[in-house]
Amino acid sequence: MNRSRDLDTIAPDDPIENGSTSESTPTSSPEAKTPSSAKANTHFSPPTEEVYTILGHTSSPFSSFLVRPKVFDFSERDNDEEILLALRPHWFTNVSWILTAIAMLFVPLLFSIFDFLGFLPIRYQMVSMLFWYLVTFIFAFEKFLSWYFDVYMITNERVVDIDFNNMLNKKFAEADLDVIQDVSSSVKGLAGTMFNYGNVLIQTAAEQNELTFEKVPNPERIIKLLAQLREEKEHHALGGKQ
Amino acid sequence: MNPLDLAQVMPYLLIAQKTFFVLCAVLYFVFSVVVVKQVTTMSKNIRDKFNSILIGFSYLHLVFAAGLILLTYFGL
Repeated sequence: MNRSRDLDTIAPDDPIENGSTSESTPTSSPEAKTPSSAKANTHFSPPTEEVYTILGHTSSPFSSFLVRPKVFDFSERDNDEEILLALRPHWFTNVSWILTAIAMLFVPLLFSIFDFLGFLPIRYQMVSMLFWYLVTFIFAFEKFLSWYFDVYMITNERVVDIDFNNMLNKKFAEADLDVIQDVSSSVKGLAGTMFNYGNVLIQTAAEQNELTFEKVPNPERIIKLLAQLREEKEHHALGGKQ
Repeated sequence: MNPLDLAQVMPYLLIAQKTFFVLCAVLYFVFSVVVVKQVTTMSKNIRDKFNSILIGFSYLHLVFAAGLILLTYFGL
């Protein structure tokens, strides 16, 4: 798959902050740079500058709101498909397990203070503590992986939800932009309100009739983006595209 | 139980204790192999900047898990 090469070379996300520079967005889509491929595949329509203005710009690679990520791809992506937005749950959702992992680090200290493992020989106590630290590490690592690989994407063609539940089950759900019927969002709780994250519910006419982006940052912006993309798709379908 | 009986049982208790620790270490090693496999699969499905670092961590964890087996088997 040649996706990363395409984006690295012809779709940098740096200049799209204001969406006003002439060389910024519409010309940076794969179709714009490779007219022959655009002619060959008219199914994928390049988004307009308005879409890029809504998207804005992401500066941090650790962000949960990755705008047109340069080095990001998923195995089910079509060659001409462009990832406009990659989302993960907001970073604040990680705080609970981080605090738990930190607390777990201090458990051996408590054990030594209160001598809970006193009935074991000293070598067994040391191995037990080593084992505990490995368990702590893998707990934190798994939680991080669950967050890192829980990805939602909006491409110029569809919305995608990839989720790995409990490390062994993969869930892949997608819906074409054409079949999206209704998009709503809910921001709940103090943390959600403070850090501006919430759920985005996407209802579709497809077999998978509901997709939920859980605890994603900037839900209003996502709704705005999807509305704009749907409008452009409809416009394109009606033959209004130049 | 009188002290003599305890002394007779003690070697068996230690063997049981050691067997338990080795078994736990082996199970943990199997789990760490699953983690490596899973991180590799995840990385194939979603490619991002830090995937190689995560795979590296999973292998490091695997090495530690193997070390734990050796430690429990030979060190205890």
